Order: sequence, then C-alpha cells, then structure tokens
Amino acid sequence: MLKLSLVNQLRSTYKRCLAGQSLQANVADSEYSAQPVYPEIQDPSFKARKQRDAADWHEEIRQVPTVEEKLIKINIPRYYGYKVVDFNDSKIPYNALPLTQHYTRTVLEDLPPLPGSQVVDQGDQPKPSEDASFKTVREDVIEALEFAHDYYKHQEKLPNSAQPSAVEREQILTQIIVEQLNRALLQALSEDHKHLDEVEVDYNPRHEAFWAVGGVDPPKNVINSKKGREWQKDMANESVDRLVQYTGTPYLSLRHRRQLSPWKTTAESENIELSKQIPRFKHDPRTLGYSTKHQHATNVPGYWPKGNEQNFGLLSFQSRAHLQLRPKSYGESDLQEALHSLAIKSSYAWLLAQANYNGFNTYNELTYPMNTQTVITNGREWSFYEYQLNTLLLHGKYQEDNPRVNFCRGTKPLPLYAEISTNGKCVDFNDATLRQLLNFYANVPSIQRSNEEQQPYVASDISAYENPEQRDFIAKTFKYLASNRPRHLELPEVYLWEKLYKIDNNNRAMEAKRRFFTLDVNPWRRTLDQHDKVYVPRAIRGKSRENRYKKTYYP
Amino acid sequence: MSTRWYPIYQRGNPQLRVFLPNFWMKLIRPTEEQPPNVVTFSVSMEMTKYDVRSYLEKIYKLPVVDVRTRIALGETKKDQTYGYITKKDDVKLAYVTLPREESFVFPDFFSEKAEKQAKEEKSLDESKEGFRRFLDRNKKRPGTPGWFSI
Repeated sequence: MLKLSLVNQLRSTYKRCLAGQSLQANVADSEYSAQPVYPEIQDPSFKARKQRDAADWHEEIRQVPTVEEKLIKINIPRYYGYKVVDFNDSKIPYNALPLTQHYTRTVLEDLPPLPGSQVVDQGDQPKPSEDASFKTVREDVIEALEFAHDYYKHQEKLPNSAQPSAVEREQILTQIIVEQLNRALLQALSEDHKHLDEVEVDYNPRHEAFWAVGGVDPPKNVINSKKGREWQKDMANESVDRLVQYTGTPYLSLRHRRQLSPWKTTAESENIELSKQIPRFKHDPRTLGYSTKHQHATNVPGYWPKGNEQNFGLLSFQSRAHLQLRPKSYGESDLQEALHSLAIKSSYAWLLAQANYNGFNTYNELTYPMNTQTVITNGREWSFYEYQLNTLLLHGKYQEDNPRVNFCRGTKPLPLYAEISTNGKCVDFNDATLRQLLNFYANVPSIQRSNEEQQPYVASDISAYENPEQRDFIAKTFKYLASNRPRHLELPEVYLWEKLYKIDNNNRAMEAKRRFFTLDVNPWRRTLDQHDKVYVPRAIRGKSRENRYKKTYYP
Repeated sequence: MSTRWYPIYQRGNPQLRVFLPNFWMKLIRPTEEQPPNVVTFSVSMEMTKYDVRSYLEKIYKLPVVDVRTRIALGETKKDQTYGYITKKDDVKLAYVTLPREESFVFPDFFSEKAEKQAKEEKSLDESKEGFRRFLDRNKKRPGTPGWFSI
C-alpha cells in the first residue's frame, strides 16, 4: 500500500510536469525543496573512513565542556593507559636533537644578543640610573651565591646516612642556588617591575604533557598484521602516530596571570616551506635509546586547573644534572645539542600543559600563540631559551600539511661565575650572564585576553554542574588519572609456562579455555569505563532496587 | 664460544695450547629499520656493554659512541613427531652507536648469487616447458624423432 501511494505521488508529479506546471506549488507543504540539497559526497575508502572517524573523535573532544572532562575523554580508550614514548628531563640519548625537533615541530634559532651588552661592548656607558640599580642587584646576587655555597657546605657536613651521588649533589646545590637567586632577584627587581609582585613561584613542580606525533615508521607487528590482509598490504608501510608523554621536574617555575608577548608574527609562524625543513626522525624512537611505558595521558603544568589565576608560565629553571651521566664519548657538540633538546622538550611540554588547561590539546589546535622562557642551569653555567608555541597539531596528516611551526631560540651555556674560592668568595662574576637573567625577569607579560578568546573550547566549569554526584565523579576520576597511580585492577599475568605451552605452541588443546588469551581478549584494549559500578548500600538508597549502583558520568 | 675456560696450570708438556676465545661478536642484519649509524651484533652472553665497547675500540679501532645490550628470548619449536617443545638458546644483542656522520650498511653478499640462481632456474624452466610442448605435439605419433616436424 505504502509503495503504491508513493508511485501514485510520483505519477501525479510527472503528469503535472508534462502539463507544464511548475513544482513550486506543492513545495510548501512537503519535504521537497526547490533547490535539491544533497549530502556531502564522502570518500568510502577505508583510509578516508578511518580519518573521518578520528576527526569526529577530535571534534567530540572539542565539544566537551570542561577541562577535566576533556582529559578524561582522551583517556577513555585505554583502561591501563596508552603505550607512550617516555620523554623525560633526565634522559637524553646521543643525537637526540632531530627527534626532539620532529616530535615538537620546532625550529631552532640563536637568541639575539642583548642590546645592553652590545652597548657595553662598544664602549658607551649605560645610563647611570640603570647602572646603579644593576650594581645593587649584582651585589645581592653575589651574596646569594656565596650564601648558597656556604649553606650547601654546611649541609654536606651534617651526618648523613646515605652519600649522595654526583647527580644528587649537583641537584641539591643548584636547587639552593636557584632558590636564593630567585628570592634575591624578586626582592631587588619588584620595585621597578611591578609584574613580579604578582608571580606565583612553584618549587619542584610536576610538569607533564601528552601528545601524538605523526610521520613515524610503523612497528614491525603493525607491518606484519597489515601484510597478512590482502586489502591492507599496500598500506603496510604507511606512517603511524606515536604517543608521547613528557615528565619533568624543574627546580623552580614562575607563573603569571598574563601572557608573555610573542616574538614571531603569525605570518612568520605559518610557513609550509619552513615546516618541511624541520628534521624528521622516521625510525622507532627505541632505536635511539628511548623507552616506552604504559601510562594514562596526563597534562600537568604544576597546578590544578582553575586552582588560581596564574595560568601562564613566565620562567622555568631546568636541571642539567643528569647530563653528567652521559658518557664522555658523546662529545662536546652533542652536549650542546642535548641542552637544546632539553630546552625544546621541557618548554613545549610545559606550554602544552598550560594550553590544556585552556581547553586545547594535541587534537584541538591553539587559537593564539603561547610563550615561555626556560633556563637550564647547574648553578655555574646558565643557558637561556625562549620558546613560542604556535601549533599543537603534529599527528597524522598534519605532520605534512600543517604550515605552522613552533620556535625556540637560545644561547650557549654562559658561566655566571668561575668558582667560589676557599674562603667563600665569588670569583670572576660574569655580568653578561646576569644581565641575560635580569632580562628574562624584566620581560613583562602584557597580553590579557577575554575569557571567550582565552578559552574558546571551554564552555563550562565543573563547579557549575548542579549534580553534586557528577561533580564528585569528575573530580575524582580526573585526579586519579593525573596521579599516575597504577590501576586498582592489575593486568592479568601470563606465566612463562603458559607462553611456551599455550600461546606460542598449542600443546594443551584439550584444556578448558578460561584464560583471557584463550578467550581472545586483549586486556590492553580494555576501555576506561569498563569496570564494575560502585554499589550503593541499602541503608543509603532505601528499598528501591533501581539505584543499586552509582551512576558514572564519563564524557 | 669455546666450551672450556682457560685451564689451570698443570705440570708437564705440552704447555702450548690454543683455545677459542670466550668473547666473540657476530654482525647481524637488523630486523627493524634503524638509523645508519647503529650496528647490531649478536654477542657472547658473558659480555657486558663495556666489554663490547672495548672489544671494538681496542681490536678493531672503531669509534664507538654508545652501546646498548639486551637479551632476546630464543625461539621455541614443537617437535613434529612427538610433540615435545624445544627451545633455542637466548642471545645477547648489542646495538652499537657510531658517531652520527658514520653509516653502516649490512653487506649483501648473496644478492648476486640469488640472481644467478634465478636466471638458471628460469632457463631450466624454459627447457622443461619446451620438452613438454614437444611431448604434447607428438602425443599421437609416439617415437617420432625430435628433428621431424610438419
């Protein structure tokens, strides 16, 4: 009947068309429109479908209203965490710079010399007022340095059960120096530079960031698996995304509620030619000496989201103590490159984590540039770096298509002093290094954006949710993910005899299939929301059987 | 590897004995793509990464930057007749990093040989094919000599 009526309708339309009547008359009361509107033609190929699915997921993440839920959403596909490349601030293998530049899409430049230092070189006298203030700061800094060394010496003499290693000794001394210098500089400069009154100081904060990088050769198991299917054979060697997790602990970092102004314009940052010139490291990062681990994606810039208003980094002091462990055979030039790559990865990761608290992540592009300053020091030698984050899109096709690049510019390690003499006096203090450091402190963060401009993808805050159960659930889940603790339910273990006699060789075919590997279950594929729900006791819920389990609020 | 350690001194002759070294290194073809300045070795299980470094530096005068080692699990195989499982020995692999400007390509000794063999097989196949055609042609007139044709 239904089909017949459709045919009749079509026939009447056809007749009317034949009679020269227009279709317009009937349009208003039907689902037809004068101009045909067709859905977009989509590529039905496997690859295009995969890309569309990924893009849909990225859009879903963008639509999620709060910062915390965005991170939970990214983590949902894996209960035991993603397999990530372990990027940290304590291990830099030989020849790591090309990989670091590829994994952060960074162009490396030299930091231009200070205008003040050039004036001094030419023999002109700087302004007397500047000179006087510099002199007082210089004295304060030298005093702080001498105090730090004195304090360290005193600490060393204390009866201590464990003898610290060379790395630990450098860390302890540098921590004291950096803290003392920071205190002295904040005190001396805050009169002239009002922005320093508002900075927030983090001591040994956690800096963690998660991102995806494209353009890396697939691992062997992926190639083999694709080669095993006839229709996927051609795609076997196509590059795949690698997930990267940075973990670092700087000595100290300063935050401010305003942003530093960018030093590269938008036009300079968008250059497809330049982006193609960035070195690429196509091999597996393990071939260079990096390791992998399973971990939840975490983005921590040293504080909780919305904890306070100082949301933008001003300056961070990174440790180079672990570079001592690198063998001498790596050479001097590689040490310089290691410093560059440490600066690049720590700056990128800190900015990415800050961007994450403003609603951006590795799948949702930044809408404005972000800047930071990084100092790598062992107390005596200081390297200064400035970083500008323009893009976060490094995965999949963006590795080739994305015209934006990030920039890093830095100096060689400059000595602040030659040594501390036996009577505790600072020898050969280097004014140029101090001027550079002062320049970083005096860099006024001036950019303040409206809330909509600063957080275009953040629609809400968890405190705005009316359901207390939901607020509680999101806060707890987020903090659990960010805590890096292992999951409550550990991964099922495979015993070696099982690997030999049940997995690699099927010697027990008649045995009951009870273990996960015989049931074809991959525990790594378990998703974050696949767990038993929390039971609500009868005393709380009353007699109803409906709400026996607590609801979950995964985004 | 030799199966014996250097023996304790005993009185009497002969004193001059030759033993195979306990330390050996074997160049192997890497199973996965790696940077050109990384060389893979299969080494004796007793060798540490320091041993590998001094072996290459002292004996072969190679500029070694870094050495990383790992122990790879030997393959297991099921016996086709009796069904028991045998396991090959574990091997220690050493990944030796050379300075970045150096590059090492694993030599391909056998590509020429394989090519030659393929050519020979091809000519053999062709002559076999020719003989089969000849047989087909003479199916209905057995005993005809090869030179006879219509």
